[in-house]
Amino acid sequence: MISRKYQSIIILCLSFFVLAACSAQSTGQQHEVKEVNLLFNFATSSLDPNVDTSYVSLRAGITETLVHLNDKDLTIEPWLAKSWSSKDGQLWEFQLRDGVTFQNGEAMDGQAVKASLERAMKDSLAIKNALRIESITAKGNALTIKTEVPFPEFPSELVHPNTSIIDVTEPDFINKPIGTGPFAVSKFIPGTAVELTRYEAYWGGAAKLAKARFSFNEDANARSLALESGDADIVFRPEVESLASLEAIDRVKVESTSTFRVHQMTMNLEKKELQDINVRKAMDALIDRSAIAGTILHGHAEVAKGPFPSTFSFAPSYPEKEKGMEAARRYLEQAGYKEVNDVMQKEGKPLTFTLLTYSSRADLPLIAQVFQSDAGQLGIDVNIKQIEIPEEYMAANRDWDLTTYSNLTAPRGDAGYYLNATYHPKGALNFSGADDDHLTAMIDELNVTVGQEKRSDIAEDIALYVDEQVYNSFILHPNTLVAYDADKVKNWITSRSEYYMLTNELDVK
Amino acid sequence: MFGILLRRLFEVVMFVLVVTFISFLFVRLAPGDPVLSILQVDDVSITTEQVNGLREELGFNEPLLLQYGQWFLNFIQFDFGRSYLTNQPVLKMIMSSLPATLELAIGGLLVMLVIALPLGSLAALYRGSLIDQLSRAVSLVGAAIPSFWLGLLLIDLVAVRLGALPTMGRDGLSTLILPSVTLGLAITSVYVRLLRSSLIDSLSQEFIRAARSRGISERRIFFSHAFRYSLPPVITVFGVSLGSLIGGVVVIEVIFAYPGIGKMVVDSIRSRDYPVIQGYLLIMAIIVFIVNSAVDVSYRYLNPELRLKERNQRKWS
Repeated sequence: MISRKYQSIIILCLSFFVLAACSAQSTGQQHEVKEVNLLFNFATSSLDPNVDTSYVSLRAGITETLVHLNDKDLTIEPWLAKSWSSKDGQLWEFQLRDGVTFQNGEAMDGQAVKASLERAMKDSLAIKNALRIESITAKGNALTIKTEVPFPEFPSELVHPNTSIIDVTEPDFINKPIGTGPFAVSKFIPGTAVELTRYEAYWGGAAKLAKARFSFNEDANARSLALESGDADIVFRPEVESLASLEAIDRVKVESTSTFRVHQMTMNLEKKELQDINVRKAMDALIDRSAIAGTILHGHAEVAKGPFPSTFSFAPSYPEKEKGMEAARRYLEQAGYKEVNDVMQKEGKPLTFTLLTYSSRADLPLIAQVFQSDAGQLGIDVNIKQIEIPEEYMAANRDWDLTTYSNLTAPRGDAGYYLNATYHPKGALNFSGADDDHLTAMIDELNVTVGQEKRSDIAEDIALYVDEQVYNSFILHPNTLVAYDADKVKNWITSRSEYYMLTNELDVK
Repeated sequence: MFGILLRRLFEVVMFVLVVTFISFLFVRLAPGDPVLSILQVDDVSITTEQVNGLREELGFNEPLLLQYGQWFLNFIQFDFGRSYLTNQPVLKMIMSSLPATLELAIGGLLVMLVIALPLGSLAALYRGSLIDQLSRAVSLVGAAIPSFWLGLLLIDLVAVRLGALPTMGRDGLSTLILPSVTLGLAITSVYVRLLRSSLIDSLSQEFIRAARSRGISERRIFFSHAFRYSLPPVITVFGVSLGSLIGGVVVIEVIFAYPGIGKMVVDSIRSRDYPVIQGYLLIMAIIVFIVNSAVDVSYRYLNPELRLKERNQRKWS
């Protein structure tokens, strides 16, 4: 029935697919070279280290920053800069590490770093605002940087991956940035992967791996399947639901590490009900943190006692608080509320809340539902409203009471970012509308205090005050999950900061 | 001839004006603010004054018509602007992502053709038979299975269990097969049923009976007359759905980490990267316009009746 012409077309198509399948098998058999494939959960179409917000260049070991975040205690330590100092927090002297070269063989000296930082500030407004640099002077391996205002946390801002040092004389920042890291780009397929080769003259010692591949897939199920199939050796954030099946595979090891993120219940302090501290305490007591961490995050989270995870040096010992349904009821009674006919009310007005949540973090809507259910048992009606971009909605609208929100706390090892952004009246993330003179004065003091110890002491006091006033309620610190082929991969360290992934120490067995 | 060309040119200009203006309005009126993404507000300590200052600087507080006029002036100089987030030229971003989506669309269409043409034809020729029931079942199942699930199922079966193909990426033909099959299977159901009903309709036409009475072989009747007559409705649906095919492969692009334009634009919408969204909408509109014009032309080739009618009209006018 089918003519010869059509038969030929069908045969041609089938041959095309069969040939392609064969080509895949042949490439899969090459295992001679020491190589790993890391599968990351964000994709990028540009490797530009100063602009790309997936930070692939730093994570893939192509570039490095002046200052490093120690993954054990999340404090800052030297990296491309071997030391720094400042007397007034405004004029900074940096001494660069000797003998560091870019992957093109050029020396990394003061002039190169100056040009790189100036380029970063020119092309990224975020970095310009983060660094607040007025001028840079370079002489040999010494760098003098003056900030616009006294800025004691300046060195910690240099941890930011977008401040990566690159050779700006090279033309192709997007596809082949030239950094100082242990791996150089050999091929970049935008949105899919970057292929890397060892940089033999790396200052920290040539990488143990000859090659590496840093690939991207935003679907958690697909990432898990890639590890199962052997396509990927290390997989970032596999699907939580598939962890049991991954752990059942002998060669696969799953690691769960705390990070510096906090899931919190943001409270709108402009709402009359929430201006009463007892109502805020009641909401805080209502949140069943252990149950949420256990059931929604399958135990891969640290129950939050305050804004900062216990790993940070500035995380204080918070006083124990009363928790649970009965404690919440008592706080509400102190605020003048009574439960009448299963409805919590004050002067005949029922207590109701609009709770915002958003789906880009899958656990937040579930936390909102748990809270709604628990509040319902106390006679509080919680109306959940799904929004798309929380920062935009909360800034532009005041028709909400509570929000399940996820915040970075100290992404560069200093408390200044979170406290300024979230509790200072001028902070862009101060959605609660916190405007407390005492709190503002403490943050202002932190902003001019030089020295890590002193800063930590002030940050501790602020964290304790915020917790005491229940300006927000802190739920948990979610963990980062990494699964990898333990039969193949050696020396893998799951980075708490999530900045440092492919290192010169990473190896295969 | 000159009149027709002039009319076509006028149509194109009006089309571009309407499409760009409406899409500009939709994009700008939708809730969202790119300033927060540009300043990386969730990672860098920013004050509200800085947010408002940048909004002013980028002209977001200007009247919409003025903003559109500025964009259009740049556009007629082939300047689509730069992405707020990556700082890359928009046209370059689109042109580097478009080939991946086009090859995925072509791969999907090939798979669809390989399945739909024989299945739809056999179902029409042997109406009510087992093959017809099979085609119905394939269509139903194909329409019911979501692409993301089918994609994961294929990865599990072909890549994990059989180890025959890579799970993801864009690295030669081997990485194109699974996403193409996923896309092809997802769109096959519509075309199988459409081709079947269109063929049944054409096989019952008088000219087919006339051809049989003249002793023409069944094979020739089917391929040269019935099949050709049944194609216009199929091509019409194809032309109409091409836009959604190119724009709608995003789920497949995400699962297979295939760096196409769908994924790029979803990311841009998420961060309100206006220049990229605007550029994408315009390019897509142009592609759909070209395809629909090609569909119009193909009618004349496939349907001699239409050609004759037009010739007669020209003769009498």
